[in-house]
Amino acid sequence: MVPKLCLFLAGAALSFGAQPAKVFPYAYSQEDLPNGLRLITVPTDYANIVAVYIVVQTGSRNEVEPGLTGFAHLFEHLMFRGTAQFPSEKYNQSLNRIGAASNASTSDDYTVYHTTFSKEDLDSVLSMEADRFQHLKYAEPEFKTESLAVLGEYNKNSASPFSKLNEVIHDTAYERHTYKHTTMGFLKDIQDMPNQYEYSLKFFDRYYRPEYTTIVVVGDVKPKAVRAIVDKSWSEWKRGSYHPDIPVEPPQDAPRTANVDWPSPTLPIVAIAYKGPAYSDTTKDTAALDALAYLAFSNTSDLYQKLVVQEQKADSVSGNAPDNVDPGLFQITARVKKVADMDTVRDEILNTVQQFQQKPVDAAKLDTVRKRLRYQLALSMDNSDTIAAILSQYVALRRTPATINALYDQYGKLTPEDIQQAAAKYLVEKSRTIVTLTGPAATGAGGAK
Amino acid sequence: MRSAALLILMSICASAQIRTVALPGKSPLVTFRIVFTAGAASDPADKPGLAYLTAQMLSDGGTKDLTYKQVSDALFPMASGVGAQVDKEMVTFTGSTHVDNLQAYYKLLKGLLLEPGWREDDFRRVKDDAINAIKVGLRGNNDEELGKEVLYESIYQGTPYGRFTGGTVSSLEKLTLEDLKSFYRSQYTQDHLILGIAGGYTPKFLEAMKADFKVLPEGGGLRPRMQAPKMIESSRMTIVDKDTRSVAFSIGYPIDAIRSRPDYAALLLVSSFLGQHRMSSGVLYDRMREKRGLNYGDYAYIEYFPRGMYLMEPQPNLARHYQIFQVWIRPVEPPTAKFALRLALSELDKLHENGMTQEQFERTREFLSKYVNVLTRTKRAELGYAIDSIYYGINPYNDYLKAQLAKLTLADVNQAIKRYIRTDRLVIAAVTRNGEELRKQLLSDDPSPMTYNSPKPEAITEEDKVVEKRPLKLKPENIQVRPVGEVFQ
Repeated sequence: MVPKLCLFLAGAALSFGAQPAKVFPYAYSQEDLPNGLRLITVPTDYANIVAVYIVVQTGSRNEVEPGLTGFAHLFEHLMFRGTAQFPSEKYNQSLNRIGAASNASTSDDYTVYHTTFSKEDLDSVLSMEADRFQHLKYAEPEFKTESLAVLGEYNKNSASPFSKLNEVIHDTAYERHTYKHTTMGFLKDIQDMPNQYEYSLKFFDRYYRPEYTTIVVVGDVKPKAVRAIVDKSWSEWKRGSYHPDIPVEPPQDAPRTANVDWPSPTLPIVAIAYKGPAYSDTTKDTAALDALAYLAFSNTSDLYQKLVVQEQKADSVSGNAPDNVDPGLFQITARVKKVADMDTVRDEILNTVQQFQQKPVDAAKLDTVRKRLRYQLALSMDNSDTIAAILSQYVALRRTPATINALYDQYGKLTPEDIQQAAAKYLVEKSRTIVTLTGPAATGAGGAK
Repeated sequence: MRSAALLILMSICASAQIRTVALPGKSPLVTFRIVFTAGAASDPADKPGLAYLTAQMLSDGGTKDLTYKQVSDALFPMASGVGAQVDKEMVTFTGSTHVDNLQAYYKLLKGLLLEPGWREDDFRRVKDDAINAIKVGLRGNNDEELGKEVLYESIYQGTPYGRFTGGTVSSLEKLTLEDLKSFYRSQYTQDHLILGIAGGYTPKFLEAMKADFKVLPEGGGLRPRMQAPKMIESSRMTIVDKDTRSVAFSIGYPIDAIRSRPDYAALLLVSSFLGQHRMSSGVLYDRMREKRGLNYGDYAYIEYFPRGMYLMEPQPNLARHYQIFQVWIRPVEPPTAKFALRLALSELDKLHENGMTQEQFERTREFLSKYVNVLTRTKRAELGYAIDSIYYGINPYNDYLKAQLAKLTLADVNQAIKRYIRTDRLVIAAVTRNGEELRKQLLSDDPSPMTYNSPKPEAITEEDKVVEKRPLKLKPENIQVRPVGEVFQ
C-alpha cells in the first residue's frame, strides 16, 4: 500500500490577527513510494516557474570514519560528473538548454540539489535527476580532479577568519560526535581525498538511496502529474540497508577555551558556544532557544544596544540557536573593535546569559519575537524557489512540511518562564566553549568613546 | 500569461511628476525599491565614499523623531528592515513588509529617507563600519572581491568611476556629518528619484507615497560629467600582496555594450557561453575546473557583479553608463597560478580565433531566453529590473532581452567576438602572498608545466604543452605590487 497524505490548509493570503493562520499556508501533497522515496508537491500561484529541491538526509554528520571527513560535501560536486546516459557535458548542455538555475549545497545534516526552471521542462528535469541519483558514474581520474575543486573551494573560503573560527569552535566543543568537523571537512582530509576513490563509491552506495531522499516540487504544478513523472523515473531505485552509527557526544564536564591566531590584520572576534538540544517540534526546547537568541542578542536586545550602538565597543553581536538532527551549538558571536575590549565584551555576554537564567523575560517582548518569527517566514516565502528552499531545511529534519507548523505552534505556547528554564538548562558553564580570534594588529576603526 | 509591460504603470517625469515603477499584485507582501540616480560617481573628487556613507547613515540611523533604537524596535516585530545599495550611478533603498504592517512600515521608511535624524553617535558608528568594511571586510576577508575592486579602480583611474564606491580610509576619516547633509540636500532630489513598489498595496497608497516624496527639492542637483575610461595602451597588472593561501585573478577591459547598446545581447551571449557564476556549463569552468581541477570556478561578465562570494546571481539597480568585460578566476593554488592565467587567456584566444558554432550559439541563446524568467522570478527582482530598464531607456528587460536574442544570428555573435574579445591591452588584478615572487614569475617566459594527481586524456596534455609556454607579454614597468594596507587607504 502506498501511504498518501493530502493536506489542505488556509489560503496563501494569510494575515496574522488574533487567531493566527498556519504559518506554512500552502496545501501540499506528501506521498511515499514503495521504495521509501518521499515526494512533497506544493502548487503555488507563482506562474510558469517550478523549483525542484532533492533533499538527501546525509551531511557531514554522516561522516563517521576518521580521516574521511568532507565526503558528503564532495558528493555535492561529484553528482555533477554524469552518468552513462548523460555524461557530464551532455547533462550540463541539457540543463543549459532548459535555462535552469541549478546548484547544490551541503550542511551538517543534509545535502540538497536544486533546480529552478520553466514548467514545461518538469519531466526532463525529474528524469535527468532520477538518472544521476541512480546511475552516477565517475572514473578515478575524474574523481581526483573533482577533489581538487573541493580544495579550491576551501581556499576560496579560507580568506575569511569566520571560516577558521567555525572550524575551531566545532573541533573544541565536540569530542566524539561528527559535528566536531565542519561540512567542508578537516583540511588534511580534503588534501587526502584524491586517494579515496574506493571509499567514495562506498559512501554513495550507503547514502544515495530512496529512504534517505525526499523530492520537493514547488510551483506551477499539479500533484497528480508530478507523481506520475516520479513513478515513471524513480520507482526502480533500490532501497539500501546502511544505518550509520553516529557517535554520541559525552556530556561536557568543564568549560573549554581556544584561541585562533589569524595571520593578517583583522578585528578580534569573541565566540561563545553552549551545547544545545537536538531539533524538536514536540517540546519547547528548540522554540525557547530560538526566542532566547532574539531576546538576548538581536539588534534590539539590551546587550546589542549597549555594545554596538551606545558604547560602540563591538561592530556586531549575534546569537544563533541550533536546529540540528543531533544536539548542536547555541552560539553567540561578537566582533570587537579593540583587543583591549575583548574581555569586557566576553563578560558582558556572560552577564547577559546569567540575567536570562535568573529572571523571566518581559511577556510583551516575547510577543514581539513571536510576531517577528511569523512575519519573517511569510516575507521569505515570496516565490516558489525560496518556498522550496525553506521547506528543504525542515524536510532535512523531519521529512514533512508539517514540522514547520508544529514548531510555530511551540513558539505560540512559549511563556517567559520557558525562556528562563531553557537558558538555565542549556547555557551552563560546564558545557561552554569560548573561542577568540586575534590578528597581528588591531587596525580597525573606532572604539569606546 | 504575465506581461511585465502591461503591469508597469510608469510615468516619466514631466516637471511635476516623480518617476514611478509600480507592479500591483495580490501578494500579501509589499516590496519597495526607492532609487536615487546619484551614486558614488557624484562624490566630489576629494571626498570618495560620501554617497556611500550618506546612504548608510539614512538606512542605519534614526529619523528626526525616532532614535536608531526606536526604529529598530519598531521594525523588529515586522521582520522588516531598510537596506541601502550604493553603486556609481544609483543609490537604492530596499525593503519589504507584510500588508498587515504596511502603514507602520512605510511611516518608518518615509521618516528615514525624508526626515533623517543626523545624530552624531549614529554617524560615528556608521563611519566606523564603513572604515572597517575596507580595512577588515574587503582587505582581510574576501580576496575575490578585493581583486575585482582593484581591477575596476585601475581601469577607471582618473574618472568618476575610478574611486572605490565605499570610499578610502583616509577620506572616510575626514568626512563630517555636514558633508553628508550637504550631499543629501543637493542629490536627494525629485529629478534623481525613481519610486519602485510592488505587491499588495492600493492605488490610494501609491498616490499618497508620491505626494510624500514631493517634499524633496525639485531639480536635479549637480550631475557628474560622465567620462569614459581611458584607452588601455598596453597590458598592465596590479598585484595585491597579503598573507593568504591562494591566488585570485580578475581580468578585464572596457566595452561599449551597456544594455541599451546594439551589441549588448550578442556580448551577453558570449559571456554566458564563457561561463556564468555557479553554472557548470561554461567554457572556462569546464576547461579550468572540470578538466583540470585548478579551482572552484571561472566566469565571465559584461556588467558589474559585486558580492559574488555570497550571491547566486547579480543584483539589479547597478545600472551604469560604462561597463567592462571581465573574467573572474577564483583562487588557485600558488604553484598553478601562472598556468591558470595562461589557460584563461588561451581560452579567450581560442574564442577570438574560432568564434562559436551554430550549436553553441543556439544552446546559449535558448538558455538565456529562459533563464531571464528565473532571474526575475521574485517581485523584488522584477521591480529592480523594471527600474533599470527605465534608466537605460529600454523595454521591460524580459521582453527586451528575448526580442534582442531572437534577432541575433551566429554571424552577429561571431562579429561581436572578433570586435570585443581580446587578450592584448588587458588590465589584470591578482591577490596573493609573495607578490614580488608572482611578479617575477609572470615577467619570465619560462614554461609553467602542470602536474596532475591523475592521468589526463592526450588532448589535455597536448593542449597543456602549448598553454604552458603562452607568452604573457607583460612588461616590468606595467606590473605593480601593492601591499594590501595601501589599497583604498
